[in-house]
Amino acid sequence: MSTLKTTWHHIRRSPFQSFTAILVMIFSFLVISVFIVVNFGLSGVLTYFETKPEITLFIKDGLDTNTIDNIQKDLSSYSGIKEIKYISKDKALEIYKQENKDNPMLTEMVTASILPASFEVTVSNPNTLEQIYQNYAARNDVIDEVIYQKDIINSLLDWTNIIRRTGIAVTLVISFISFFTIFIIVGMKITNRKEEIRISRLLGASHLYVKKPFLLEGLFYGIFGSLIGSIITFSFVIVLRQSINSFFQPVEFISYDTSFYALMLVSEVLLGAFIGLLASWIGAKRYIKF
Amino acid sequence: MKIVFDNVDKSFGIIHALKDISFKIDQGDFVFIVGHSGAGKSTILKLILNQLKPTSGQILINDIDIVKGTKDQINQIRRKIGVIFQDYQLIFDKSVEENIALILDIVSYPKEKIQERIDEVINQVGLESRRFLFPSQLSGGELQRAALARSLAIKPEVILADEPTGNLDPENSWNLVKLLKDINQKNKTTIIMTTHNYEIVEALGKRKIEIVNGEIKKDPTKTSKKIIYSSKKHEHA
Repeated sequence: MSTLKTTWHHIRRSPFQSFTAILVMIFSFLVISVFIVVNFGLSGVLTYFETKPEITLFIKDGLDTNTIDNIQKDLSSYSGIKEIKYISKDKALEIYKQENKDNPMLTEMVTASILPASFEVTVSNPNTLEQIYQNYAARNDVIDEVIYQKDIINSLLDWTNIIRRTGIAVTLVISFISFFTIFIIVGMKITNRKEEIRISRLLGASHLYVKKPFLLEGLFYGIFGSLIGSIITFSFVIVLRQSINSFFQPVEFISYDTSFYALMLVSEVLLGAFIGLLASWIGAKRYIKF
Repeated sequence: MKIVFDNVDKSFGIIHALKDISFKIDQGDFVFIVGHSGAGKSTILKLILNQLKPTSGQILINDIDIVKGTKDQINQIRRKIGVIFQDYQLIFDKSVEENIALILDIVSYPKEKIQERIDEVINQVGLESRRFLFPSQLSGGELQRAALARSLAIKPEVILADEPTGNLDPENSWNLVKLLKDINQKNKTTIIMTTHNYEIVEALGKRKIEIVNGEIKKDPTKTSKKIIYSSKKHEHA
């Protein structure tokens, strides 16, 4: 009688316990999958804002080209600079006209001379914005005004950290719940089959021989539960992807990349297998005493 | 398989179940262990199987001290022993055939030959029509035969039979004993059978170790401690 056959026999003989173990694993991985998808989505949103943040330095009128070049060189020397865009007075007027093309009254009254030239600095690291702000806010000789939405950036940074930490905590708690459920169910099954184990040992079965079906059972719960949990989540995600993404435009909240889901599925099944195997191994070690 | 008990004592708390038990059983012997209920017969079989450990003394199986033996050595020894337990010890949710398949799997019997071997032993004990039934669906005699089939399946070197005729009618008892006698003669399988059925013991005329209150009262080939040691020394040389 092969180990697989014995494992299947154990699963069939106590269907409610097996069903509970699978259900808990499905639920756990449903929550974990949802959380991972949401976390990735929010990370995308935050990354979008993190990489978008700009600081705008309005420069004083009448500065010579050398001074403007020096400011640009100085800005380039900061770490994490993504882009430095110089908006001349003429360019500023062009942008202004474009933005107010439906209101000719506003465009007629404005000339390039009244609009200030500026530098729009985009960074990949939001901390750089703070440094630029600190250094240029007080330079009244060349800078007219600095616009930096510091509070929004800080708030986004805080949320990023909270969401990531919560994600790790939720995953850990749910993994523990799954682990203990399988541990207890495997323990109950071992207790139910105590006689069979004892007889098998008397007939010469090794410790590993009697343990193997229970290890495989835990592994089965882990793999099957995580697979079903992940597939249910992905099905919902695929169905709802279009409408969710249109809400978060221009950010792609839910990825369209198939390899992302394949990688996630493999990772979750591996995590499920690990939880199932570890729980049943510890359960078998704890309960098989003879 | 050679079995040697050397001054074995076994106590359960204040109850002294076996006292100073010494005997030697060689390959191919047919030995009855007789005595009243509670005399200590089953305890001897449990000690051979290492189901119990002696309080003192030494038990050698094929010159391996099973008290000090490794788990692997004990497993190897158990795989050469066919056991017919007094209460059958069949797995309740496996059919007769599955119970036999289990022991064949434990001894790593070639997978492709398992079904063939099951058919052989089931025919040998006459359980063809009961092979797919579960232990709860069998009579006492059928359970005993199923347990015998399981023990025969592995072609054991030794069969330990604990009161195998206890639940059988006289006809089935004789059939079982005849079957064991045939196996002993044909395959040189050692048979150690506990019983209090003196009629069977006397009729077969085999070696009889009589236990009274945990002590050997009578053993026609009683082996003293000195003989056991000299035998061991001789074999090692």
